[in-house]
Amino acid sequence: MDEIDLLREQATRARRLVVDMAASGVGCHLGGSLSVVDILVAAYAVARSQPGTDVVLSKGHAAAALYAVLHEVGVIEENPAPRYGRAGSPYTGHPGPKVPGVRFPTGSLGHGLAYAVGWALSRRLLNRPGGAIAVVGDGELQEGLVWEALQVAQAKRIGGLTVVVDLNGGQNDGYVSDISPLTDLPARLAAFGFLVTEVDGHDIEKLLTTIVPTDRPIAVLATTVKGKGVPATEGKAGSHYVKISPARARQWKAAIR
Amino acid sequence: MTATVSAREAYRLELTELAADDQRIVCLEADLGGPSHCFQDRFPDRFLNLGIAEASAVDIAVGLASAGLRPFVSTFATFAAFRAGESVKLGLGYLGAPVVLVSPYGGVSGAWFGPTHHCLEDLAVMQSLPGVRIAVPAGETETREAIRVAAAGDWPCYVRLGRNEVFDASFAPAGRGAVSWLNPMGGDTCLVSIGEKPTALCQAVTEDEPELGHAHLCWVDAESLALALPQLAGARRLVVVEEHRAAGSVASTLALLLPDHEVRSVNAGADWPTEGGNHDETLAALGLTASAVLSAVLKGKK
Repeated sequence: MDEIDLLREQATRARRLVVDMAASGVGCHLGGSLSVVDILVAAYAVARSQPGTDVVLSKGHAAAALYAVLHEVGVIEENPAPRYGRAGSPYTGHPGPKVPGVRFPTGSLGHGLAYAVGWALSRRLLNRPGGAIAVVGDGELQEGLVWEALQVAQAKRIGGLTVVVDLNGGQNDGYVSDISPLTDLPARLAAFGFLVTEVDGHDIEKLLTTIVPTDRPIAVLATTVKGKGVPATEGKAGSHYVKISPARARQWKAAIR
Repeated sequence: MTATVSAREAYRLELTELAADDQRIVCLEADLGGPSHCFQDRFPDRFLNLGIAEASAVDIAVGLASAGLRPFVSTFATFAAFRAGESVKLGLGYLGAPVVLVSPYGGVSGAWFGPTHHCLEDLAVMQSLPGVRIAVPAGETETREAIRVAAAGDWPCYVRLGRNEVFDASFAPAGRGAVSWLNPMGGDTCLVSIGEKPTALCQAVTEDEPELGHAHLCWVDAESLALALPQLAGARRLVVVEEHRAAGSVASTLALLLPDHEVRSVNAGADWPTEGGNHDETLAALGLTASAVLSAVLKGKK
């Protein structure tokens, strides 16, 4: 089995864990977690091969995906699903620094990107290798802080920064296209000095070659399917936050291939 | 000891001196550091004017601190406490990142600039964040001392400064957790001054009322105040004078820490000063005057 197949298997297992977390009793942000799994698997694979590179899940509501992937890559040793959302557990609905592998608290949207800019800048100031891969949501792009951070990154020529946008088309109250559409996104990011690439956000092989931080800031527009992997949730804005029974979780997990 | 520069300038000078020996120090500005900056002149690689982007500046500083750097971020008090408020809460509060915020224009030192540039609420915001150390130095020497303490520590700090006035403090800084006694206790009442103008008001009052003790405090977060409490134990009544609203004031923190003491507050009240004038005139419009201090001392006395 080659590396790509191994990563695809990681993603499949991670999706099943995400579904387990939706059946935790408190539910989880299922749709945006399932959409971002492949991006996170690719990002952590890149980070493993590039010492000093940090992955920041700026769309912190996809915490279930983060915990699942961190477990699959061996950073979180225990299976996080049984303790997700429970008293005494660090696996809260939005990730924080008590979770192994998580450096910054995210969930209030926009901050993760700015933290990543700071981390990338630290590489330059300390003359150390590495960079930052920030994963943001498309709904998150409605936050002013995102554009403020992009402006700073451009003005200060901060390299070693990759911004991956999970274009799943959904947000809390419905579809991004209905609530606050993202017009001319490639051109807007290019105008901020980013090298813009558009990819299938579920194509791990393609992601691996496009998200590696370089001297020039990179924006990767990754088209994804909200709720990816579970037919009952795919493409549905209503999959944003889901709480299901253990019986349904078994059905949904069996459908994940 | 005679001050020759404002606290704001003292910050820049002291940080520049410290950076010569501490490679971790990074100086971040958000377009309010002035067109020339001594830190930039000496250490251009570690100086970044990030532009008018206060929330990003704090988040970026958190990112730098997580990598082992010691970032100092300067922006006006109101922008630090409110524009960047959530960044401060998450980065300095929740994460505890050792970022130092240095904020001129504290209180109404912006005077004729108006309420958009005043901040009578910043200490309340910062005081509500566990783990954030808060300094309100008075004058050049104490400001330099506060910056040194902040740089040497490994905790988040908020340092509130005034605008450009030079405050001639005639006392040596006591340091964190200690009291600078500007007038010894002669009775059971002690004035407690926070910041430059309140300290000047208390000095004026004790000239006429020499039996009043006058304790000046620089570090005013609850943890630092708790360290200083034994030095205030001799007073039965504390009259805390500060350029801040009552809610979240140092007086309110001291009242919680000293339930058996009588703590009175002389503060900037509840108004929004909407007229011009200099710093003293703006304070007078808010009722923060020497006579207000005296009234608070005499309240209830026959």
